[in-house]
Amino acid sequence: MTFLDWGYILDALPDLLRGLGMTLVVSFLAILFSLTLGLIGCALRRSCFKPSGYAVAAYVEFIRGTPYLVQIFFVFYGLPSLGLTLSIFWSGVLALTLWASAFHIESFRAGLSSVSRDIHNASSSLGLRPWHHGLFVVLPIALRSALPSTLNTVVGTIKNSAYLQAIGLVELTFVAVDRIAQEFRSVEMFLSICVIYLAVILGISALGHRLEKRLNRPYAAR
Amino acid sequence: MDLLYEYRIFLLAGLLETLKMSLVVALGGTLCAIVLTFGVTSKPTLLLRISFGLMELLRDLPLMVTVLLVYFMLPAAGVSLNPFWSCCAAISVWGGANGAQILRAGLASVGNGQRETAAAFGFGPLKALLLITLPQAMPVIVPPYVGLLTALVQATSLGSVVGAQELLRSGQVLIEQTTIMRGGSPAYLVYGSILVVYFTLCTLISVIGGRIERHFLRPYARGAEAKVGAKVHAIEATISTSA
Repeated sequence: MTFLDWGYILDALPDLLRGLGMTLVVSFLAILFSLTLGLIGCALRRSCFKPSGYAVAAYVEFIRGTPYLVQIFFVFYGLPSLGLTLSIFWSGVLALTLWASAFHIESFRAGLSSVSRDIHNASSSLGLRPWHHGLFVVLPIALRSALPSTLNTVVGTIKNSAYLQAIGLVELTFVAVDRIAQEFRSVEMFLSICVIYLAVILGISALGHRLEKRLNRPYAAR
Repeated sequence: MDLLYEYRIFLLAGLLETLKMSLVVALGGTLCAIVLTFGVTSKPTLLLRISFGLMELLRDLPLMVTVLLVYFMLPAAGVSLNPFWSCCAAISVWGGANGAQILRAGLASVGNGQRETAAAFGFGPLKALLLITLPQAMPVIVPPYVGLLTALVQATSLGSVVGAQELLRSGQVLIEQTTIMRGGSPAYLVYGSILVVYFTLCTLISVIGGRIERHFLRPYARGAEAKVGAKVHAIEATISTSA
């Protein structure tokens, strides 16, 4: 038994890739739902109806002030006794969505508040209708400044999907720990999953940076 | 609610362990952060590259993986630690990587002129750092650092994954023991109250942090808050989502 057995890694690779597939599926669904929820939450947060704003603020504070692992356990073990039973997969997606949406709400809000009053005034004085004004003037500017922190949350969503192994979702980390429990090859397993996580996360960061550059191009210094 | 009262001693023991772990992790994380900061602010050499690589690696891996990795790999390296200390080590190193980023940004926010002036007045590097640069960097460092501390406290809940007897693990044990006895799972009650406990802890830290922040802002009160604020929010967002 050598220190690093490449044959063993090759042997485990199909399992690990299946785990990675699960990680990506759960993260993708959670990212999709949380972005939607984030937009809705942000709209409620900034609406004229004060109570809804306070409720969203309280929600964001609560999610950010409590450990993610306990949130997962609350969703998976706690909700059934309140009458809502979800499968492991959907509880995972729900917990991840709830967590990420709180951060998305904050970054969208920051993005919107970065659009200065003058821009609002200028575009309404040009006679744009409210919808056009929001869609073509305010939103592009807001998105541009919200993008970095939104991307950060997106990457965080993928990273946090590793926590779902605690409720038994068969994703990348679960596969690795399960194999270690059976065959005690911790070095190989952790090396493999570290490389996989790094590849995925660095890849997404790189894509995000390109997107950022592209959105910034019209405003770049000439 | 009866259940929580009945087993309060057991749960309080878990809470105490969580507090102990939080303290260890906060101190250990700060120590790692200081060491790493010296690495990432050093002259471009091998040391700089290694520290940067380590920092990026730790920030890009899920914390769950780091905790499990330390727990499973230390025995392979010939070190045997109990779950409590191995979890503390993992979270401290993670906290160190994030803390180093905060400290580096804070130090970089102080203009180079300050350092040159200090040197011109005959301050040594260490003295200039402690007496000139650091006090000015504090308004930039403190807010995200408080965020990091709350993240560290939250991270101690990961101890339950490797079997350290902290608050979350106590809650799990309590649920396992009482579900059959009571003819129904008290999970929502137990996990709900654990959420509330953590929320209270983190809010408390934020409130204390706010006071420290105001203390450091006072000497520069005129308009300083506006200048510092933008940087601070960017760093804070980075830290809190990289958990």
